[in-house]
Amino acid sequence: MPEIVLKNVTKKWGGFTAVENLNLEIEDGAFITLLGPSGCGKTTTLRMIAGLETPTSGEITIGGTVVFSSQKGINISAAKRDIGFLFQNYALWPHMTVYQNIAFGLETLKWKKPDIEKRVAQMLETLQITQFAQRYPSELSGGQQQRVAIARTLAPSPKVLFMDEPLSNLDAKLRGEMRTELKRLHADTGSTFVYVTHDQLEAMTMATKICLMKEGVLQQYDPPLTVYNHPSNRFVADFVGNPTMNFIPAKAVKLSDNTARLEMLGEKFTFTSENSFMLKDGDISVGIRPEHLPISPKGSVPGQLTGTAYSTLPAGMETTVKIKIGGTILSSVMFGSLDYKVDSEICFTVQSDRILIFDVDGRCATSGTVTK
Amino acid sequence: MEKNKFFNRVLAYFTKPSNVIVVAFLIILLACIVYPLYSVLSLSLTVGQMDSLMYNSLFGLHLKKGSFSLLNISMLMFGKYSAEYSASFFWSPLWNSIRMSVYASAIAVLIGGVVAWLITRTDIRYKKFISSVFVFPYIMPSWTLALVWKNVFANSQVGTGVTGMLESLTGICVPSWFVYGIFPCSIVMGIHYAPFAYILIGGILRNMDANLEEAATILKADRWRIIRKVTLPIVMPALISTVLLVFSSTMASYAVPVFVGSPGNFYVMSTMLRALYSGSYSGQSYVMTLVLVLIGIGMLTLNQALIGKRKSFTTVTGKSGQVSYVKLKGNKLVSVIMVVVLFFMAIFPIFSFALESLCEVQGDYSTLTLKFWLSKEDIGGFQVAVGKGILLNSVVWKAMLGSILLSLVVALVVGTSGFLIGYGVSKKRGSRMATLLSNVAFFPYLIPSMAFGSIFLAVSTKLLFLRGTFLLLVIVASVKYLPFASRSGTSAMMQLSGEIEEAAIIVGAPWITRMTKILFPIQKSSFISGYLLPFVSCIRELSLFVLLASSGTLITTLLSYFDERNVVQMSNGINLLIIMVVLLVNFTTNKLTGASIDKGIGGN
Ligand SMILES: Nc1ncnc2c1ncn2[C@@H]1O[C@H](COP(=O)(O)OP(=O)(O)O)[C@@H](O)[C@H]1O
Ligand SMILES: [Mg+2]
Repeated sequence: MPEIVLKNVTKKWGGFTAVENLNLEIEDGAFITLLGPSGCGKTTTLRMIAGLETPTSGEITIGGTVVFSSQKGINISAAKRDIGFLFQNYALWPHMTVYQNIAFGLETLKWKKPDIEKRVAQMLETLQITQFAQRYPSELSGGQQQRVAIARTLAPSPKVLFMDEPLSNLDAKLRGEMRTELKRLHADTGSTFVYVTHDQLEAMTMATKICLMKEGVLQQYDPPLTVYNHPSNRFVADFVGNPTMNFIPAKAVKLSDNTARLEMLGEKFTFTSENSFMLKDGDISVGIRPEHLPISPKGSVPGQLTGTAYSTLPAGMETTVKIKIGGTILSSVMFGSLDYKVDSEICFTVQSDRILIFDVDGRCATSGTVTK
Repeated sequence: MEKNKFFNRVLAYFTKPSNVIVVAFLIILLACIVYPLYSVLSLSLTVGQMDSLMYNSLFGLHLKKGSFSLLNISMLMFGKYSAEYSASFFWSPLWNSIRMSVYASAIAVLIGGVVAWLITRTDIRYKKFISSVFVFPYIMPSWTLALVWKNVFANSQVGTGVTGMLESLTGICVPSWFVYGIFPCSIVMGIHYAPFAYILIGGILRNMDANLEEAATILKADRWRIIRKVTLPIVMPALISTVLLVFSSTMASYAVPVFVGSPGNFYVMSTMLRALYSGSYSGQSYVMTLVLVLIGIGMLTLNQALIGKRKSFTTVTGKSGQVSYVKLKGNKLVSVIMVVVLFFMAIFPIFSFALESLCEVQGDYSTLTLKFWLSKEDIGGFQVAVGKGILLNSVVWKAMLGSILLSLVVALVVGTSGFLIGYGVSKKRGSRMATLLSNVAFFPYLIPSMAFGSIFLAVSTKLLFLRGTFLLLVIVASVKYLPFASRSGTSAMMQLSGEIEEAAIIVGAPWITRMTKILFPIQKSSFISGYLLPFVSCIRELSLFVLLASSGTLITTLLSYFDERNVVQMSNGINLLIIMVVLLVNFTTNKLTGASIDKGIGGN
């Protein structure tokens, strides 16, 4: 039911446009992440949906009710939008105990005292903070404060939950744990989650759909794997994935509907796509994920390319190898622990049916395979 | 051997500039506070000229001026002679002071708080205009509004029977309690300190994380519940301090009750203190001083006690990136009302003074003349000698220059001290010495100006070389204005991380260079505000100097002289002059350096 729809939403501050003509549809029960570099308008978007910020123009609908419309002059206050909001800095009230913080929303709703006690106790237990009920926020650690903030937000069982970089103030280990718990919480509550982050890994691992923005403009709105495998442009391809995608400058000549000749890394390749595509002959760039450049012993497989080891970064489970070939440095990721001597010879292949072709404007033209 | 080690340690301790600063200021300040307090205590137990005559005739004693006696206390406070005497000279002024201060703080915090909320939390219009003009009443001398009150409401039925603006325009005569007494005193003081409350509360509201309130909005709390349950409790410590600061300031104020209190026989502690002192009842006047000081100390203790420790408010200083403004219903109306009220509080007084200084016959606007400004001959028709018109009057010019010179010197001393104290305290943050220094530096705030003046008068009777000198005025004012300068200096220094100075130490910059080339420029506007506030405070100060300076020394004492002798055109004209100088200095400094009174007080 609480489907959220944004139509042509724009937010300007003076002459500066923070969010431009945003169209978005968020299904009931989804876990959406708003992803993008710092300053791209994620917080602003979230706050506009929540009703904390007034859009300059456009229309926002939550669960069939128009909550904002610049044309019809509708602007329903945040209090009446039936939502929960988890702030980046938690915003716990310093003068209230943990118990009072969580009970506040229920008291506002005029719940009966025994019901409040029961609900708060339940929340405290779910988030494993029962022993802190009588403490003040300043007497808790960051992770504990975070749990209190979640409990306070969830206590009135909001149908939609907005979160603004809720994990960015936590240390890496705690962040990992909280990710798991938030995803679990999403499954348990069945609510719609809208989650802001600038961490692509967080977005990839948690979301059912990613909304990627750049300078206030929506770049792509798709499930994580689609964004990863079929990015709509070079910016998206570059932003998602770690280590980042290799972009190799190339010259292209179209051969047929779905094939082209590529000249890159000093060699000639044939590119084949399953579908027909449009591409102007000339300069393009080819996007290859690091995991699609497997290293192999010299001569063990056909079609090998040869470069030198620039540096090796073993991380235990996998190893990132930087390979220098011509003037270009490529990343390759291999499973397991490897080590190559600096400047030693390395042979590798291009192995994937998901090689991407970006035209001069950075638009992704198509994906396919290359053969030497 | 041992001795050598100790000596080396002391030497090492004092090679650090911050240690030298902290120790030096502690010694100077303690000397400027402890010794004077001791003098007051001893003088309150010493009989003055008229005290002795009075006690001798009442009780058949043979006390001489200067002898020790507990009679000062028992006469004044405990009805040794009669209950009526104590009541009318001590208890009733005390009660009046307390009532006036309570009303005034309530008015100040209410007005200041509401304006602070409107400016920081709503989409009210003309914000820039409102917030810059709203501080006028605080920048202008405190009696400014008292004079305006008199100019407007005085009438033929009341007091000296001078005709005010209201009567001459409409014929309405307001009753006596409206013109003189606790009512105008409280209102005028309240309005004077409202900007002060606005700056303090506004600073907290601005720094308070707006998410705290938004979190409550999301949980469906309405506007009123949010203010009651979230905003107010969080700003409460600041609110309490504000109330106590305003309360102490009002207790201390002399000028306002003298202008709109005394003519209606409404006496408060400060006006009674002055009356007793000028009547040579010095013993009793020092008893009064002592009580005022004790009240000040009580206020600080209360402040410390009321601000709880457990509900730490340290988290309040979060960054609040995005504040969404509350939509005001009837925004236009509220904005316009605000602007109109501001006009009467801040702009109208200036017109009023100009107008009054142009009336040949006071209150009669058909007799306009420029003679009080430009007359080349001595102006007659008054019981006292007035001299030439203000712009040609050598006495006025001398007093004005005296005030400006004093204010400049004081600003220099205070601003620099504030900067240095801030440096010392922030370098040694957390140490006992630093805490002691910042408390001692704030202490003078708690002593009412009038009492402060009288304390230093006591000192000058012992240290005769100081008596009646310019130096004495500089010392008094410097110590008195130090609190805010040291506060704002400390907070500005605290914002700088230690590494900034360390980076300069590593490249070998000497201490002086680090101060002048690095630390000062980074927080320039804060530190310059530390010079601006004492300048402005000093040039418009009356109560602090009224016991120490003769009427022609400073422009404010001259103003008071003319007012007490009913030369209203002159006092209005001089007042206009002071306001102009103050506003001009404030405006130019602000434009040139970004410094402002707000920052000097500790808002931002
Ligand atoms: N109240 C404001 N006034 C002016 N500009 C703002 C305001 N709030 C945010 N911005 C600007 O809008 C842009 C988007 O901000 P935001 O939504 O906070 O970005 P983020 O994606 O990091 O959350 C930024 O460039 C920011 O500077
Ligand atoms: Mg953000």
